[in-house]
Amino acid sequence: MTSLVSAQGVSKNYGSVRAVDNVSFEIEKGKILGVIGPNGAGKTTLLKAVLGLTDCEGQLSVLGLDPFRQRKELMQNICFIADVAVLPRWMKVWQLLDYVEAVHPNFSRKRAEGHLQSTKIQSTAKVRQLSKGMVTQLHLSIIMAIDAKLLVLDEPTLGLDIIFRKEFYANLLNDYFDDERTIIITTHQVEEVEYLLTDVMFIDEGRILLDSPMDLLADTYVEVLTSGENAVKARALGPIADNEMFGESVMLFEGVSRDRLEGFGELRTPAIADLFVAKIKGARK
Amino acid sequence: MIRHQLALIKREIWEHRSIFVTPLAIASIVTLGSLAALIFASGFAEELHMAIFGATNIVGDSGRTAVLTGHFVGTSWLFLVALAILTVFYSLDSLYAERKDKSILFWRSLPVTDAETVISKLITAVVVIPIVAVITIVATHIVNLIVTSIWVSAKGGDAFLLIWGSVALLDNWLAVLIVVLATAIWMSPFIGWFLLVSAFAKRSPLPMAFLPLVLIPLLEGIFLHSRFFATAVFGRGTSMPLFHGINMDAIFDKSYQLQVNEEVISLLLYLDVGQFVLSPATWAGVVVCGLLTTGAIYIRRYRGES
Repeated sequence: MTSLVSAQGVSKNYGSVRAVDNVSFEIEKGKILGVIGPNGAGKTTLLKAVLGLTDCEGQLSVLGLDPFRQRKELMQNICFIADVAVLPRWMKVWQLLDYVEAVHPNFSRKRAEGHLQSTKIQSTAKVRQLSKGMVTQLHLSIIMAIDAKLLVLDEPTLGLDIIFRKEFYANLLNDYFDDERTIIITTHQVEEVEYLLTDVMFIDEGRILLDSPMDLLADTYVEVLTSGENAVKARALGPIADNEMFGESVMLFEGVSRDRLEGFGELRTPAIADLFVAKIKGARK
Repeated sequence: MIRHQLALIKREIWEHRSIFVTPLAIASIVTLGSLAALIFASGFAEELHMAIFGATNIVGDSGRTAVLTGHFVGTSWLFLVALAILTVFYSLDSLYAERKDKSILFWRSLPVTDAETVISKLITAVVVIPIVAVITIVATHIVNLIVTSIWVSAKGGDAFLLIWGSVALLDNWLAVLIVVLATAIWMSPFIGWFLLVSAFAKRSPLPMAFLPLVLIPLLEGIFLHSRFFATAVFGRGTSMPLFHGINMDAIFDKSYQLQVNEEVISLLLYLDVGQFVLSPATWAGVVVCGLLTTGAIYIRRYRGES
């Protein structure tokens, strides 16, 4: 197993607030992991710890390095987009490329300029003159020109319209991702990234509620559309979520085999968003 | 390491264009001012003729040197005041603005340490800003001397005798470079303090930087009846061990007019670089600056919110 990120009992407190509470996980090479959680769940804090931007308790190793103490070495092989607004607004595009080229050993200016040519971004433009979508395009062009082992995206498409969002993820998958690369994404718009994830992790109140490869979700979680007597029988098996929709019950089961549910109604694999809501509600009960 | 520093310093100059704009603005003011004076003087043909005659035949070498050196110091002085203000604002802004606009998240996503970044800002304040100012001072002098020479020649005077031969230009430029760099090093504890406040302040770094400088001496005076802090802070500006043998009475008379005096030849004669370099007070300042800068690095690194 080639673990890129390994966390054992990682915690982080802000004063009396426990932002990350004793979490352990492994992320392997070549995965695209979606970290999903409500606001204030500890996602960003966890990512900051992985990126070496904040110190934490417990054992955390990223690419075999201690992220906080070896941040400089780490950043040669990690890229991140923290938020759409972080590129310095006073800077011109060519200055940005100049600077990254000078400080980043794995940056290819040619590649970045190649990406930029497919956009409307001029090299003499200042970041402040660009629209929000263009700033993200610019940031992504820089990131995709860096030969990094791990890419961390924290709400990368926040505040962008649907066209930019679709394009962003398409670029990421087609031009960037390969078996040698690993991506961690946090987002609220789960539906948009669902199809590209290989793994998913749910976080709430600093704890991990779910950490699973996507293709195993179908084995563990089943959604049943049922009504009437079947609904009563199904309910007896203890669904983790039970909602009414158009006169039918939509029940979500965890760890109940498809064979046992077969006769109750239509079976399907739940959407990540529905599974997420069910898990959060369950954990908070 | 050096490649990173060069990129980082270039970055500072791109961001803070005032590093160039401020000295250039002063240069324009000085140049326009002297042009206006020349045009104004051209209106008094008779007086002018007498003045050139007097400067050539009566005043003598030392007199011409005194006047030109006085002019030299006077115009340089404007730059130095602007330089001081620029440095205060630059260093207070340097670690604060990047948090305000959140670009710190981008800077920290690159393989550059916090120490490298903060040190680049210190180097910019202590070395780059002063050197840019000195270059502008020299360029301004050259332009003004050329313009004045042409004007004097046109009015029938001998520019080489009256101007170029009468002032120790290279000496004085070197003296300006030494004074400016030494002042930056001497005042570097303040620059370190401004960097620390800049890294620390949640808002308004300017009052936050100056309030303690006023309050601490006040409290010290009231409670401890001592003036240690006040002397260390406010006394520093006037106690730089670079100057020696300055007898103000020999240079200025009672009405603060520059006196015609044989001593006014080269400004280098007034500087004692050895004394400055060997002074414990200089090194104490460098150590304090180092400690405060380390504090700024530490804050940038450990601050959770970034």
